[in-house]
Amino acid sequence: MCLAIPMRITAIDGALATIVAEGLEQHASLALVPEAAVGDHVLVHAGYAITVLDAEEAEERMKLFAELGEFEAGQRDGLD
Amino acid sequence: MTSARIPALISELRREARDGLVYMEVCGTHTMAISRAGLRQLLPAGITLVSGPGCPVCVTSTADLDRVVALARRPEVTLATFGDLVRVPSSRTTLAAERAAGADVRVVYSPLDAVNLAQAEPEREVVFAGIGFETTAPIVAAAVLESRARGVANFSVLSLHKTMPLPLRALLDLGETPISGFILPGHVSVVTGTACYEFLASEYAVGGVVAGFEPDDVLEALLMLVRQTAPTIEIGYRRAVRAEGNLVAQRLMATVFAPSDADWRGLGVIPGSGLALADEYRESATEERFTIEIEEPIEPKGCACGEVLRGVLDPADCALFGSRCTPGDPVGPCMVSSEGSCAARYRYRDVDGVV
Repeated sequence: MCLAIPMRITAIDGALATIVAEGLEQHASLALVPEAAVGDHVLVHAGYAITVLDAEEAEERMKLFAELGEFEAGQRDGLD
Repeated sequence: MTSARIPALISELRREARDGLVYMEVCGTHTMAISRAGLRQLLPAGITLVSGPGCPVCVTSTADLDRVVALARRPEVTLATFGDLVRVPSSRTTLAAERAAGADVRVVYSPLDAVNLAQAEPEREVVFAGIGFETTAPIVAAAVLESRARGVANFSVLSLHKTMPLPLRALLDLGETPISGFILPGHVSVVTGTACYEFLASEYAVGGVVAGFEPDDVLEALLMLVRQTAPTIEIGYRRAVRAEGNLVAQRLMATVFAPSDADWRGLGVIPGSGLALADEYRESATEERFTIEIEEPIEPKGCACGEVLRGVLDPADCALFGSRCTPGDPVGPCMVSSEGSCAARYRYRDVDGVV
């Protein structure tokens, strides 16, 4: 349940951000991080960004996640 | 590549760790990460890793699971839930079995999906099963506010949310296992910050390090714990966690929720450790809309999840592990939850030192 994925904000419309990681594009609410800006890396959990990440570290982690196929895991609804 | 640090971290741990160190992690994602990376096999013999009550699905009581089922059975209710709950055994059934029998159970990735669902299907009463700790509760709080802002009246939350610091106090008060230190939750701490853990050091002389989720993050946190000359609360996961936490998320949680008593599998009722919808938000509380009646809960026979959750029984030592209880045919929640200790040990048993 704590699984949160690092993603990069490419667009913001009100409180809704378009976020991308390794070709995967989705939306997340910025209700918990109103200060986030386009270009920021955020940790995304259950459809919400929960914090802004340090950029360089985030890029490195995103590469790791992609290699591990964790993005698919993050999108899975859990064991079902 | 950060995994290049792993051999260096292991040899430093081997050099510096004494004997008899027991570190407890209290976050289901850490449980999985540790098993998946086979860290137990790499650590010096003096360090034992135990899992605590860090899986929100696993610590949900059977009675609460029965309440979720009772709601799902109502013909007017659409039960929206995180996928993790669907196959967890309650007294007599699972949500998956109920769905097969005709209940309207929908898996959602986000509570916001449940709000959108309610908006799209106004004839349904959408009940969101709110399970999770402080990473998830602010998100559910935001979704509640969103539902009210949009005038979506057919949405309510059954809050089974719980908060992390009090069960740690309960565990230490029980004193069943000597704990040398805690690997503190990574994403819960993104929200809470670290002040809520200070009592561990100041009252119990037990230190803690907030850790990230990659193998090198966990090893680094262990090294920080081993190196502590006095019990302290530190942040290892610096790229994501600040000492003050996420103030917006904290405020959301404190506005929409209020502390309540919560019943933890393995620990019993811990006063103030739960979150219930606050007075001004009671309209969005499922219990205000439906009288939820359940029969006497039946605990799964022979299930030792309670002891596993308190860290006094290693999953591999449970008599049912791998024989009567497997992820495909689970007896208790720890084997079926994606963050369960038993599921982690079973899934990665080849690398995790399970004979």
